[in-house]
Amino acid sequence: MEILKLNETPIRTSRNFNINNINLKNVSIPQVIGNFNNITIFNKDTKTNIDNHISKCPLLYGVGENLISQVNNSANQTINITINNKTNNELIIHFDFDKDNLNLVDNIQINTIEGAKATIILIYKTLEDIEAFHNGLIRVFAQENSNIHIILLNLLNNKSNNFVSIENKLEKSSNIDYTIVDFGGKNSITNYYSNLIGDSSNNTLNSIYLGRENQLFDLNYIGELRGQKSNINIEVQGALKDNAQKHFKGTIDFKKGCKKAKGNENESCMLLSDTAKSMALPMLLCSEEDVEGNHSTSSGKIGNKELFYIMSRGFELKEARKLMVRAKFNKILENITNEAIKEEIFEEIDKRLD
Amino acid sequence: MKMKTKIEEINRNIYDIKNKDEYEYKIKKGLTPEIIAEISKQKNDPDWMKEFRLKALDVYNSLTLPTWGPDLSELNMDEIATYVRPKTNLSSSWDDVPDDIKNTFEQLGIPEAEKKSLAGVGAQYDSEVVYHSMKEELIKQGVIYTDMETAVREYPAMVKSHFMKCVPIYDHKFVALHGAVWSGGSFVYVPKGIKVDIPLQSYFRLNSPESGQFEHTLIIVDEGASLHFIEGCSAPKYNKVNLHAGCVELYVKDNAYLRYSTIENWSKNMLNLNTKKAIVGKNAKMEWVSGSFGSKISMLYPMSILNGEGAKTEFTGISFAGKGQNLDNGFKVVHNALNTSSVVNAKSISKNGGTCTYRSLVRVNENAKNSKCSVSCESLMLDDISRSDTIPTNDIQTDEVEFSHEAKIGKISDKTIFYLMSRGLSEEDAKAMIVRGFAYPISKELPVEYAVEMNNLINLELEGAIG
Repeated sequence: MEILKLNETPIRTSRNFNINNINLKNVSIPQVIGNFNNITIFNKDTKTNIDNHISKCPLLYGVGENLISQVNNSANQTINITINNKTNNELIIHFDFDKDNLNLVDNIQINTIEGAKATIILIYKTLEDIEAFHNGLIRVFAQENSNIHIILLNLLNNKSNNFVSIENKLEKSSNIDYTIVDFGGKNSITNYYSNLIGDSSNNTLNSIYLGRENQLFDLNYIGELRGQKSNINIEVQGALKDNAQKHFKGTIDFKKGCKKAKGNENESCMLLSDTAKSMALPMLLCSEEDVEGNHSTSSGKIGNKELFYIMSRGFELKEARKLMVRAKFNKILENITNEAIKEEIFEEIDKRLD
Repeated sequence: MKMKTKIEEINRNIYDIKNKDEYEYKIKKGLTPEIIAEISKQKNDPDWMKEFRLKALDVYNSLTLPTWGPDLSELNMDEIATYVRPKTNLSSSWDDVPDDIKNTFEQLGIPEAEKKSLAGVGAQYDSEVVYHSMKEELIKQGVIYTDMETAVREYPAMVKSHFMKCVPIYDHKFVALHGAVWSGGSFVYVPKGIKVDIPLQSYFRLNSPESGQFEHTLIIVDEGASLHFIEGCSAPKYNKVNLHAGCVELYVKDNAYLRYSTIENWSKNMLNLNTKKAIVGKNAKMEWVSGSFGSKISMLYPMSILNGEGAKTEFTGISFAGKGQNLDNGFKVVHNALNTSSVVNAKSISKNGGTCTYRSLVRVNENAKNSKCSVSCESLMLDDISRSDTIPTNDIQTDEVEFSHEAKIGKISDKTIFYLMSRGLSEEDAKAMIVRGFAYPISKELPVEYAVEMNNLINLELEGAIG
């Protein structure tokens, strides 16, 4: 079985630091035959067009060459979504994995036309005790003054593999918000890239991860600011229990000319066991003077004082921990207005922390 | 058009004094086993050291250049002479040092500093130490401060058990190179319980063009002892590349304290590929203070390995990159025992096309429970042709830890200028105060004489607005 070398950072650091990329040894890319049929689309309205005509253009980053090549050449689902106008509808697409739909290679393209507004929720979930494989690409083109919120839920089981590449292009005064809930997968590898090319464009990425057993999360989030007064905010909250591992690689790159741009990234990891491992590489790259960039990361366990306070109110240790994790994630999950989906996420949190 | 405040680069008049390239012996350029054997012969090495050098050369040849950081492709070891012996022997009196060399050190203020504020001084010129002296009372207390060659001869057991054990030759290519061609440097031993209240200083001067300096500094601060050691370095500018690949090994034993301060002001044709590492024992404390102003390229990441329970380390550093400079500096710390702690405070200023990178590693091992680490780095960009990057790696392998990292990048805030002006300062004074204030956390950690030197290095010429 070959070693999959994935998720390279835009700039390398010392090889001895073990964070420039991830090497997966026991994962093979399956050959995908036939369509993935277990897809359900809810809430499509007249302001939204959906077809399967994907335009191919090269990807700047992406999870890895082999996986991107698979998406481009043998995707078993292609979805092209065009948002033509403002809509308050939430378009929801469920991808449900079962023994007849084990492998999904999906290529999703989302275009928001000038002035359009929408929310799209993508849910990937295993319904059975299977070893699923997901390799997906999401590309978003936000035209001027458009506004889109994408909610991405990875609720796969811990036997599966999850690879996601995201590329966003933001034109003038456009806004893309992402809320990513990353819970599933033996390996969950995400490459997220935003190209803020338009002046006053705005990108917010709110992400939570929850790892247990031997799960590995490798999150490579990259924002390149080119437009004047462009703005990116990356907020990542996570918790790791058992032997789970997380690599967070965040890059905010202020390109020459992005005057008065702002970039912030914050990653915070709650360690719930003494064998969980948290690595972080929060990079700020800057070749423009008139900008503001900040990053911060922190790791540690739940404070004894906080636990003591909650337990003094009659909760057991396990319940107190759940409350603390919920409270930490709630800041991110507030961005999801769909109560049913939010409730499903909270149930997953409780289940995974049991 | 709004005038801009100019923050001048380092006034290099003193540092650029060039003496005639006179030497007693200069090894031919390049790196071969024959050249290494010849260096060993010239230095009258014991057999073990000769074998060590040849082994290090093999390791050097087996390792590749780093695949990250600044471009080192202009470095051609075939064009570098790795050993240059000046026309003088080691002296303990400045009167015995040849006039041209003595004048250089006088202009750099070394003998004056020795009189005023140092307990001992070592001065290296090209590949050899030309002056070494220490106050009598420290000798009586058993403190050893001498050049490395003397230490190899006179304290063989102590040197052999510590030499390149803290920094093994396999660490990276330029450590292996150092192991093969090292020459000069200082050896310090502070016996148990002895507190050296006044600093010791070694100053390294590279005069010869197309050559390298590979001094080795080995400091052992025994249990309960304390020391402040200052390292200064400079060179005149030549058109071709010079190389500095020194190595600093620090052993801070249980309950001991060591502060290692560096003012690095190499010329802008220098590739500074230096390696510094400290092993810190139980309840011991290691402090690094670093000012990095010179060099064309610098790759310097001092490292503390906190091996003893309750060990502590602090790093306080500033880099200033001007035209043509690429300073890739930072800090590494490994927490490897219970209750260890580290505090990192790094700053950088980039201007006139210079590049500053803060690159770091914090690793908290599984056995380092109840450890604490706090990192803060700030970068100031003074124009839009410069570059500033922050590339920190944080590897946390246990839950019983308090770890936080913060970084900021940007220009001087208009709001801050406005605030100071509303308190009666002129715009120019406000800006000058902000830049000096930015560097203050570093300068306040230096002895007064060196803080003044550092402030002089960042001269402000105020003509209007920054930004």
